[in-house]
Amino acid sequence: MSSRSKMKDPGLILTVVLVLYAGFVFVWWPTDVYYVGISLVAWLMFIGLFFWFLLAIVYSLWIERLDEQNKK
Amino acid sequence: MQVTEAIILFIYLLIVTFIGIYFYRRARQSESDYFTAGKSINTFVGAFAIFAAVASSSSLMGAVGSGVALGVPYFFTYAFGVIAILPFAMFLISGQIRRSGVKTMPEFFQQRYGNSVQMVAAIIVVIGMTFYMVPQLTASGLIGSYVLGIDYKAAVIILGLGFTLYAALGGMWAITYTDLIQGAVMLIGIVLLAGIILVDHGGLNSLISAALSVDPAFGDITQPWMSYFGLFIAFLWFGIISPSVVMRNFASRDAKTARRSAMWACLLYLTLFIAGFMVTAAGANLGIVGTLDNTDMIFVSVIEHYLPPILGGIMLAGLMAAIMSSADAMLLAVSAAVAHDLYKAHINKQASERFVTGLGLIVMVVASIIGILIAIEPPGLIAIMVGWVGGFLLSAFGFPIVLGIWWKRANRQGALIGMVGGAIVFLILVIGQWLPTNAEPIIAAPISLVLMIVVSLMTDPPSKEVQAQVDYYHTHLDDEQTA
Repeated sequence: MSSRSKMKDPGLILTVVLVLYAGFVFVWWPTDVYYVGISLVAWLMFIGLFFWFLLAIVYSLWIERLDEQNKK
Repeated sequence: MQVTEAIILFIYLLIVTFIGIYFYRRARQSESDYFTAGKSINTFVGAFAIFAAVASSSSLMGAVGSGVALGVPYFFTYAFGVIAILPFAMFLISGQIRRSGVKTMPEFFQQRYGNSVQMVAAIIVVIGMTFYMVPQLTASGLIGSYVLGIDYKAAVIILGLGFTLYAALGGMWAITYTDLIQGAVMLIGIVLLAGIILVDHGGLNSLISAALSVDPAFGDITQPWMSYFGLFIAFLWFGIISPSVVMRNFASRDAKTARRSAMWACLLYLTLFIAGFMVTAAGANLGIVGTLDNTDMIFVSVIEHYLPPILGGIMLAGLMAAIMSSADAMLLAVSAAVAHDLYKAHINKQASERFVTGLGLIVMVVASIIGILIAIEPPGLIAIMVGWVGGFLLSAFGFPIVLGIWWKRANRQGALIGMVGGAIVFLILVIGQWLPTNAEPIIAAPISLVLMIVVSLMTDPPSKEVQAQVDYYHTHLDDEQTA
């Protein structure tokens, strides 16, 4: 197996997606913008909770598809 | 003494102890049965088991307590990190570690880096997981003293010994099956509580408004940026560096089951924290945080305020459930580290399986006694103590595991220096107290990474066999399926 195929690993790609969203929240860090009296930082993280679950679903289905292809 | 709550809690503890004894015989059949439940757990049971192992007492009591004390963004930072635990671990290590066929995390280090790294890892596991018992015991002591009306210290001792008993007897079999109950009780309890709170306040908007009118800073960022970021990365990495969580992954029937279990456990965790948000807002609404001896008690105050005694008893059993399942998984990790990774691997290779599981049992009891002795005078708030453990393990294990799987060039010397260096820098930073709370891994983990890369590059590469092994971890990407 070549190292090139490791770069195509769904896990590695989704890790990059996860890090990008977390980076977006922590770099922007909008402490002074409020929505319903709560800092936007908290709401961005709240949205992130659902995004993490979505990533978990994407990963499971993606790997299962790879498995199917390999079996064929 | 809260009689109704006490009776429910007592019945609950009886049931889980009975399950522990029932599975005792099955568990002692072999090491594989004892430590990983014979690798036969299905998706449904596995999802609750992983969920209950990750959702420690701090998930409920600590997150809510810290959210009320430090503002709701702190609560969400907690959630933002912990809900990413399972996806993050799954993306980077779960499948690969499973394919490696090892039973414990130090055993993985042995396979990838050799004996010396395994021994150091086992020692770090023992220190980290034994200390991790302390916040669990603190939480059980707080609940126990409230429900039973007894002294906190007595509650820590009685409950600590009680739940060690069944974990020690049943090994992973008992822990996994009681987790199904514990996970369900915890989840149903908090969702019910959140529903009652919402109905009571007439919706989420008015609940938040009420909390803000009592505590105008409820929605604010109250701590330095580093505290939030440090907390986030310490939790994010928890599934990778926590031996107790990694070991759950091995108990599943096959790789697909393990992935699906982790995926559904992520949803369970998400539900727990959304309900926890309601509890946090209700806690702020009570406006009593300054009057409590221990901020972590705010959760119990919310239960007392909103729920009738019977439901309160079930909810407290749920909290105790969270503590027990986490503590049990930790005890098992300590026990496996000493019996399996130190004794059987290095001291007596001929030891019978029965002797190794027996030794594991004794180690569990000793570890929980040490935990109890420290928890009698806890050194900090639950959330902070959990943050320390997460930060310590991340600083020591994070990069030796991830690079061990993803970078063939990583070698024994690099892993050893990275592991020991990260752990020492972390301890120095905690003792020195120069950084905001829980910010230590922001410095210690990158130092571990740099040490590991530099030392690996300066020394000889691993053998061809080891490099082939690293390729094998990733065989799901090959054209020919072998895993």
